[in-house]
Amino acid sequence: MSRLSSAEHMSLTDKFRLINWGLVVLIALIGLTGIALLYSSGGKSWEPWAAPQAIRFALGFCLMLGLALVDIRFWLRAAYPLFGFMFFLLIVVEIMGHVGMGAQRWINLGFFVLQPSELMKITLVLALAKYFHSLELDEMGRPAMLVPPLLMVMAPVGLVLLQPNLGTAMLLTLASGALFFVAGVRWWKFLIVIALTALVLPYAWHHLHDYQKDRLLTFIHPDSDPLGTGYNIIQSKIALGSGGVFGKGFGMGSQSQLQFLPEKHTDFIFVVLAEEFGMIGAVTLLALYFLLLVYGVMIALTSRSQFARLTAFGLTTSFFLYVFVNVAMVTGLIPVVGIPLPLVSYGGTAMMTLLIGCGVLLSISVHRDIRISRTGITEL
Amino acid sequence: MRSWREHGRRRSSTNQPSLPGLFSGLKAHTDTKKTRSPSSPSEYALTLASARLGLVFLSFFLFFVLVSGRLALLSLGHEPAEAQPLHAASGTGSVTARSDMTDRNGTVLATSLPTMMLMADARKILDAQDAAKKLQTVLPTLNIAALTQELQTAKRFITLWRHLTPRQYYEINKMGIAGLEFIPDESRIYPAGAITSHVLGYTDTDNEGIAGLEKSQNERLQKQDEPLITTLDIRLQTVLHRELSQAIDTYKAIGGAGIIMDVSNGEILALVSLPDFNPQSAGAASDDSKFNRATLGVYEMGSTFKSFNTAMALDSGFIKVGERFDTTQPIVVGSKTIRDFHPAKHWMNVAEIFMESSNIGSARMASKIGTTQQRAFLARLGLTNKTPLELPEVGAPLVPSAANWRDTATMTIAFGHGLAVNAVQLCSAAASLLNGGLLVRPTLIKGSTDKATQENGSIRVISEKTSAQMRALMRLVVKHGTAKKAEVAGYLVGGKTGTADKITGKHYSQNARMSSFLGVFPASAPRYIVFALLDDPKGNAKTYGFATGGWTAAPVIGNVVSQIGPLLDMPPVDADVMAATEKQLLRPLGSDVIESLNLDDEADDYAAVESNRAH
Repeated sequence: MSRLSSAEHMSLTDKFRLINWGLVVLIALIGLTGIALLYSSGGKSWEPWAAPQAIRFALGFCLMLGLALVDIRFWLRAAYPLFGFMFFLLIVVEIMGHVGMGAQRWINLGFFVLQPSELMKITLVLALAKYFHSLELDEMGRPAMLVPPLLMVMAPVGLVLLQPNLGTAMLLTLASGALFFVAGVRWWKFLIVIALTALVLPYAWHHLHDYQKDRLLTFIHPDSDPLGTGYNIIQSKIALGSGGVFGKGFGMGSQSQLQFLPEKHTDFIFVVLAEEFGMIGAVTLLALYFLLLVYGVMIALTSRSQFARLTAFGLTTSFFLYVFVNVAMVTGLIPVVGIPLPLVSYGGTAMMTLLIGCGVLLSISVHRDIRISRTGITEL
Repeated sequence: MRSWREHGRRRSSTNQPSLPGLFSGLKAHTDTKKTRSPSSPSEYALTLASARLGLVFLSFFLFFVLVSGRLALLSLGHEPAEAQPLHAASGTGSVTARSDMTDRNGTVLATSLPTMMLMADARKILDAQDAAKKLQTVLPTLNIAALTQELQTAKRFITLWRHLTPRQYYEINKMGIAGLEFIPDESRIYPAGAITSHVLGYTDTDNEGIAGLEKSQNERLQKQDEPLITTLDIRLQTVLHRELSQAIDTYKAIGGAGIIMDVSNGEILALVSLPDFNPQSAGAASDDSKFNRATLGVYEMGSTFKSFNTAMALDSGFIKVGERFDTTQPIVVGSKTIRDFHPAKHWMNVAEIFMESSNIGSARMASKIGTTQQRAFLARLGLTNKTPLELPEVGAPLVPSAANWRDTATMTIAFGHGLAVNAVQLCSAAASLLNGGLLVRPTLIKGSTDKATQENGSIRVISEKTSAQMRALMRLVVKHGTAKKAEVAGYLVGGKTGTADKITGKHYSQNARMSSFLGVFPASAPRYIVFALLDDPKGNAKTYGFATGGWTAAPVIGNVVSQIGPLLDMPPVDADVMAATEKQLLRPLGSDVIESLNLDDEADDYAAVESNRAH
């Protein structure tokens, strides 16, 4: 047990050695895949996408390793304040969006565009994990105890919906739902929520923006408007199909190279991969993602505190949902929503969020042996 | 680094997820205290979490199986992955007077919408001010005061508005204002907007064509119901338009022109002139943006003309491709000096002269053939007469008079100075050289060439052998000569660069030029001429300051070919197949000549710079 007790007072070098390097390598592999694909879709050129992406990935990667060394008890202590701060920023951009700055939902920090709705994905997980960590299982049964976490979810989701950002709202809701489930909320309560949602849906439909309705309708009949809203899905299916089993080779994807495919470097980058490296390439990347999830789930399972377990699980689920929504969208399984392919799609905000999330996950992995009581005091 | 096995071992000692835990949530509330494992309550929560976590993980896994399955299905082609036919235009059911225009695949390029003209009979208007106010709610740009005044006169026919939309018509009609009349008219719409503006032209408010095909085909469009099918392919037109626009931006050119032409019949699949205009509001466009640089502008084309000079020389039978000319010294004729930027230190043969784009060599070749022959040859290719193209905006070539077309002119025309032609003319002449030697006539209307060849038969301008040699030479220019930037993986592109100093006033300008590239692909069995011309491009850091055709126009052709190849059912060819085809392609030059060219790939940047500069 000496090792366990020393876990509480680990030096930085000890922590550094305890970092889950397998996971780190995996993240690097996925990130490099993205850079290679951006290099290819930029016409085998570092400009305009691959170079900025490489720089951002390198920075985010260092940040991630730094966060891995942060003590897990810091996350526990900071969970509510961070959540509160991010919620505050959400309100700020919501107000700024209406007053003056156009429909802008982000804060430009110069080197980095801060999109509070993105970072909310992490802080919400931390806050919920802390809340459920502090509950007794018996308390869990009382419906009243579910009110605070439900509010914690609904308030930011509501703000994000107002933006309107359906994709992010959906991701926040689903990840939170999974957290509630793993935290031990009873089955029948989920059934009630699902039933309620089904009732509300027709009403919500009327309140969707026209473009959102279009996307949903297009999903059902993509061929009804092949040059308009159905264009992306059809082109993406053509590209996926044209890749075949082994693909056309690096930089040789005609659909994606030839600018048939809008947004090929962001939300539809999976298509570039599938076209150039075929089914084999696509399934390999999926396997890497799956492996990453296995790591995440194992970290959750081996953590000794509920907080660590729920946080690890929540972050892993968020990551999975990115993959799920993006790949399902690109393969035509669900309607088009603007969710990037994690660590691969071009774009700084999502990548930073994901790498920060991975940093927290690594930190939990480093500190998984620390036990924390409900009140936050370390148990040995 | 630690392995997962290690983690697993430690975990098994503490909290193994157990199956009962999965469903314990259902009954946990009643019997947790009795049945749960001996550990503390928080340990129990952990166990429950582990179990449920396993369940969620299982659903993750199922998702991956699902998506991989879906991918396999798409990749193996079980899902219909083919493009749906996108073109659904039909010629029937037209309710408007002026017929549509479509591209060669049936995509609508110009159509008419039925609209209404709003008239007023001022004598019948009861309350002028009220009527004006009401109308202004639907037509917000109307001036109430002016309108009131006009409606108070006794005029019987006042035109208030042209082209009311159905919605506006409905709204105004609903107001029930006495004294208003609606007369059906129609409004011309161009779905591709500026992209096709120079070809289609535009109409005036009375729907009479006043530019482009709208003007030249005005009668046809008014009389016939079925759509006029043009030779354009809107996909190619879009690609060419985009690439040319980008090049103009990059090199800060003041304009440009581009053409894609079928070498077998002169059909123009794309014709772009930039800047262009919005045909919906052509009145607001500047004169410069309405000037068609591809047809109306006539330019001294510079070195692209060496293609004709070389073909003439080889076809005459007097000059063989291996024949050498003295290119070591500038030629002085009268007051002019013909020089190469980097004079060669040796005598160059015809192939070298073409590849290195030597002015001196070209001039000597032309001198040997003679003025009469040259004039006859260029006339045969249609370069000395106005092109018979179906556009009103066609510029006649500037040809020296017989008195002025003597030795000096013969030498300068050999390298494209002293004779100015339009771009379409240049392309159709080049098509005639490369398609095996049969004259083509440029056209923008589908079906018209078939008629022309039926009437006239095919006219041979050069022999098949010369045509084959020209294809080989043009390929060499791209592979080893001044146009390496037009090279595209998977396609055998051939071509010739051109850079001509612009004439400002009466003198050639030192720093303003027309840079062009006359491309052909596939060079082995030509199907298309692809031409790009940039008006006064400026060099930048990436071109080491050079603004010649090889640096600015050739890359446009490379980019265009790589994009339109697949659209034209020509997927890129593997490198080994390319090499074999290329070997075959170069054969007509003879092995002696090919060896003499010293075609080692020493494609370092310096050499590229040098060869472009020499040009």
